[in-house]
Amino acid sequence: MMQSFFEWMQGLPFSAWMLEETWASPIIQCAHLVALVGFAGAVLVVDMRLLGRGLIKTPLNQLARELDRWMIWSFVALFVTGAPQVLSTALKQYYSPFFWWKMQIIVIGLLFNFTIRRRVAFAKEGTLGHWPKVVGFLSIGIWTSVSVYARLIGLLS
Amino acid sequence: MRSLFEWVDALPSSIALRESLNAYPTMLTIHVVSMCLFAGLIAYWDMRLVGLTLKKVPVSNIPTRLFPWALTGYGINLITGGLLLYSQPMRYYGNFYFWAKMALMLVAGINMFWFHYATYKSVQAWDQGREIPLNARLAGVVSLVLWAAVVVTGRMMAYSGLMPGWWNNLNIGA
Ligand code: HEM
Ligand code: HEM
Repeated sequence: MMQSFFEWMQGLPFSAWMLEETWASPIIQCAHLVALVGFAGAVLVVDMRLLGRGLIKTPLNQLARELDRWMIWSFVALFVTGAPQVLSTALKQYYSPFFWWKMQIIVIGLLFNFTIRRRVAFAKEGTLGHWPKVVGFLSIGIWTSVSVYARLIGLLS
Repeated sequence: MRSLFEWVDALPSSIALRESLNAYPTMLTIHVVSMCLFAGLIAYWDMRLVGLTLKKVPVSNIPTRLFPWALTGYGINLITGGLLLYSQPMRYYGNFYFWAKMALMLVAGINMFWFHYATYKSVQAWDQGREIPLNARLAGVVSLVLWAAVVVTGRMMAYSGLMPGWWNNLNIGA
């Protein structure tokens, strides 16, 4: 089922176009990395604040609310620049364990963000004990491992 | 310059790194993650200067509170990038994007120092308010563009077949 879906993606005219057009893949890959920098900064500034570091003079929920949309929009940019690469190299991705780990952790990361992390970051400060630290630590760990697995798709598969 | 690259290329430690199966993937992966720490934080500093975000954070808070982290990221970036270069100097010697990236980093560095020792001196006057001087906003835009270009040229180094025609005509790698 899954395999035929990936075979279908690989067979799309768009995928063929991506592979034929010399500059399409490199441009998309560069854009994915620029989007990654935007995403990383938005996530990190809040996570560091959750850990009690970084911009401690600014109220946490104010920082988190402000950077929330930067995080969401850079994720959208990551998706928009990631999806064409999945299409054009669908079979390579299908057979790479790193691709599946990356996608699973992204789902975990998004669920974690929208259920727990945001709630903790938006909450009144000083009411949650050590939990903000745990949440910041987990968030950094999640997105770092997404990046590591992502880079390993290209290097090791 | 060429003989320096060739000399490194022949060093036993360079050869050992080049022939190690794990060194390249490990270094490149750490390079990308440390880039996130460095460039991610610098991007939001630049956007603060430009006035795109974090407007309620006093400007001077960011250098004191975030730069140590950004510099840590940069340090790791420098070490892993240096090791990647050390392991395959002759692969990068003829690579247009490698030299472009180094030049862009140099210009980004000059922009940073210039801003720090000129414009930033008056930060007390615009620390809290919304009116950031034009020079500071310009420095922010220039920095955003340059670091994005460093990221792009960094990724493009892998595409040795996509270098500009005029560069290929110089025959530097041959
Ligand atoms: C749903 C959204 C995303 C999709 C569909 C996607 C897809 C992809 C694909 C297909 C690649 C190319 C892998 C290869 O074949 O070499 C890639 C590379 C990469 N992605 Fe993503 N990605 C997404 C989100 C993210 C996120 C959230 C992060 C980090 C937090 C991330 C970090 C990376 C990195 C570091 C690379 C390697 C870049 C390179 O050097 O080429 N991606 N992505
Ligand atoms: C003096 C410092 C640096 C050196 C010597 C250096 C060197 C390198 C080398 C040799 C590569 C491997 C290229 C390849 O084999 O494909 C690389 C990749 C890269 N570098 Fe650097 N680098 C440095 C600093 C930076 C900085 C400051 C940034 C970003 C702000 C950066 C961004 C990148 C990116 C995005 C890649 C591509 C990673 C990928 O393929 O996923 N580098 N660098």
